[in-house]
Amino acid sequence: MSTTTVPRPEVAAPEPWAFPLPQESVTDNGIRLLTYAVPGQYVVSLRLVVPLSLTDEPADREGVAAMTARLLDEGTAEHSSEEFAELMERTGMVLGAAVTDGALSVDVDVPQRFLPQALDLLRQTLAEPAFPQDEVRRILRSRLAEIEQERASAPHRAARELTATLWAPTERASRPAAGTPATISAMGRDDVVEFHRRHIGPRGATLVVAGDLDGVDVADVVATGLGGWTNPDHVPATPARPPVPAGGGARVVLVDRPGSVQSELSVAVPGPDRSVATGWAPYPVLSFMVGGSPSARVDAVLREDKGYTYGIRAAFRPRARGGSFVTAGSVRADATVDALRLLVEILGTAREGFSQAEIRSGVDYVVQTAPGRYATADAVADEASALAIEGLPLDFQTTTLAAMRELDDAALTTAYTDVVTGEWVVVVVGDAASLREGIEGLGLGPVTVVPA
Amino acid sequence: MPLDYPVHERTLTNGLRVVVSPDPSVPNVTVNIWVGVGSRHEAPGRTGFAHLFEHLMFQGSRNVASGEHFEALMAQGGRLNATTWFDRTNYFETVPKGALELALWLEADRHGHLLDAVNQANLDNQRDVVKEEKRQRYDNQPYGNALIDVYAATFPEGHPYHHPTIGSMEDLDAASLEDVHAFFRRHYAPDNTVLTLCGDVTPDDGFALVERYFGSIEASEEPRRPPVAPLTPLTEPVRVERREDVPNDRLHVAFRLPVDETEEFNAVSLALDALGGLASSRLVRRLVRKEQTALGAHATSWGFVDGVSLGFFVLDIADEVDTDAVERALVEELERFAVEGPTEAEMDAALAQAERGWLSMLASQEERADALSHYTSLHGDPNLVNTHLDRLRAVTPEQVRLAAATWLRPESRAVVAYRADVETEEVA
Repeated sequence: MSTTTVPRPEVAAPEPWAFPLPQESVTDNGIRLLTYAVPGQYVVSLRLVVPLSLTDEPADREGVAAMTARLLDEGTAEHSSEEFAELMERTGMVLGAAVTDGALSVDVDVPQRFLPQALDLLRQTLAEPAFPQDEVRRILRSRLAEIEQERASAPHRAARELTATLWAPTERASRPAAGTPATISAMGRDDVVEFHRRHIGPRGATLVVAGDLDGVDVADVVATGLGGWTNPDHVPATPARPPVPAGGGARVVLVDRPGSVQSELSVAVPGPDRSVATGWAPYPVLSFMVGGSPSARVDAVLREDKGYTYGIRAAFRPRARGGSFVTAGSVRADATVDALRLLVEILGTAREGFSQAEIRSGVDYVVQTAPGRYATADAVADEASALAIEGLPLDFQTTTLAAMRELDDAALTTAYTDVVTGEWVVVVVGDAASLREGIEGLGLGPVTVVPA
Repeated sequence: MPLDYPVHERTLTNGLRVVVSPDPSVPNVTVNIWVGVGSRHEAPGRTGFAHLFEHLMFQGSRNVASGEHFEALMAQGGRLNATTWFDRTNYFETVPKGALELALWLEADRHGHLLDAVNQANLDNQRDVVKEEKRQRYDNQPYGNALIDVYAATFPEGHPYHHPTIGSMEDLDAASLEDVHAFFRRHYAPDNTVLTLCGDVTPDDGFALVERYFGSIEASEEPRRPPVAPLTPLTEPVRVERREDVPNDRLHVAFRLPVDETEEFNAVSLALDALGGLASSRLVRRLVRKEQTALGAHATSWGFVDGVSLGFFVLDIADEVDTDAVERALVEELERFAVEGPTEAEMDAALAQAERGWLSMLASQEERADALSHYTSLHGDPNLVNTHLDRLRAVTPEQVRLAAATWLRPESRAVVAYRADVETEEVA
């Protein structure tokens, strides 16, 4: 260790960068096709999104959209569920289907040489799912087990309580997207068949294809693979709108999980989506400065100074429309009250503004990590499909990153105080008997205790 | 056909192995460093130390303040972290290429001169943080400690893989500043380290920069121990029974496997895929789809280097089903597979999925850099990254059958059963 070290080097300015722009076309059956050539990415990512609204589910069958998505590849007109799984695996593909608040999204990753087969299998899941009775029963039963698994996990339990507390009880967003024990137990094959018939079709759909497409005529391959997908009964989805907040002032819900060695904390407020009129640019930077790293405001105190937590993250979470600002993480059980006190104080103090050093590092972090964050085919495809679901322009990332470079303290503080009113919805999952009194003493509003 | 990711390799005079893999597709460079120390090197009474030590690497070094490593790189658009595993510890960042020298300077400062800055306050703080990591990831999770039971049941007391990387609360409490100094001197040295640069950098520039920042760090005299003696499969079943407040019964059925990157390990990993690692695997077909006695069936193989690897099945048992009967069904499938071997469809599916998984992993510059460090550090050759799939494809169905018949015998299983019991409160 006797040697001297080399002087600290200077950093050279980064090169300009833009989110890639796709080739755009429309298939004969109405699918908007976005093709992103990403050389060197040998696994091609497909993202098929169909606009869909969970408010279009029958009220007593909530979760039917998610169950339909999970059943798309569990048997088709041509193949049993088992055969289909084997066919997909032998073509090296992986398929996942899920619903968000704005769309059904079917994601496929596949080595380039299997692209035609993958598109044909994708068509079968969309156009010809058979929903075999046995598979429907199995998937519904595993959803019921999943609900119990989620109940047992503190972060999942916290997330469920948070949406139930944040949004008005009349809002679909206040209830689990994949359904409750009551709605799942009431569901049957007919509900799934009917939902698929009415709500899943090519009209309004977008297909993103990203990867190394050297030597591939994408439009032709897609026309061959998905051209046969039609659905004359497809009803356009109810357009997404922001959920109505529950209102009613600051409050705390304490979910009782006796004997927990940690408490799961969530502190939240309704927030913007990415089409917010004042511009999305401030929000990723705010997320980073407040709670995006071990040296951000929250963890500088709760982790690096106090050692209460492995890490707490704060982030603006956009939905297709509307969103939330959520700070969440777990802390040592006997430090819960002090951690919550500090957390709310730190989030409140941020209303007073940010230092030039914080702003510079926050902007540089978000802007300069973009080339790496969007370097792979799956990352490009994920973002492109999100833009499609949210109805945002294809150069959204590029223009937003440019706007970020112009952000100053006033713009960031305004954006933050627009959202952070101090009227926090707080959820704590932990040992209620030992926590209740201390949390009540923090004056964060009325404290309600509910069972896990 | 081998992949063609470029690989350039050089060893500095102090023993640091350097790999450069140019990829100009994005104006970034990943710096990925593997140190040849993991939880397998921990002394009795000091479990969890390699990981606690990794945390201290972010708390300052000779010319870097506590927390500055994260702050300085993130402020330049760097994404970074570090992880600890049984076999090794890795440190990595992806930065815009203009910040590559800063990243190397920061890494060299802590890999060469950590001890100038380590102090009791940092140790105490990061010990608390690591304890919260343990509570978050293990103690406060349903089934959270199941894998810890698996390691202890599968490998003998005192074996490098008998205890988990996270360690125990008692051992974390016992860790002292003297331990930190001794551990650094023993394991953190250029000749026990691999540094990979992957991204928008040429081999000449990459080697020159690493030489500039790391060349003056002195080689260590510490002898590196060879791998411990190989383990053979368990000769009789081992059981651990837990009754806890979990939503449903879950079985972990574990096996000792041959060491990583051997023909036999590749064969047995394909057997595990065919049995439980695919959506079309035998256990999923039978238990999840047909009999519906399991909510899920999964199989995993983890390659290790110290004389043995680990494979395990996880079966989530459906409500009102006899858990022991599901275990018997698994045993039947193991016996059948050891006789029949894999079908053509199973081999196709396992290989096609392995291909996508491997290509997807290498698609990311960060993970590609990690794989290059991995194969250099633990297997001596970064080029193995390009030929991994060829080695896997060369495995014959008969080799898969034989590997299963050797390593996945029912009597060689270690079972960790978590049974739902709402009556029982905390088990002390």
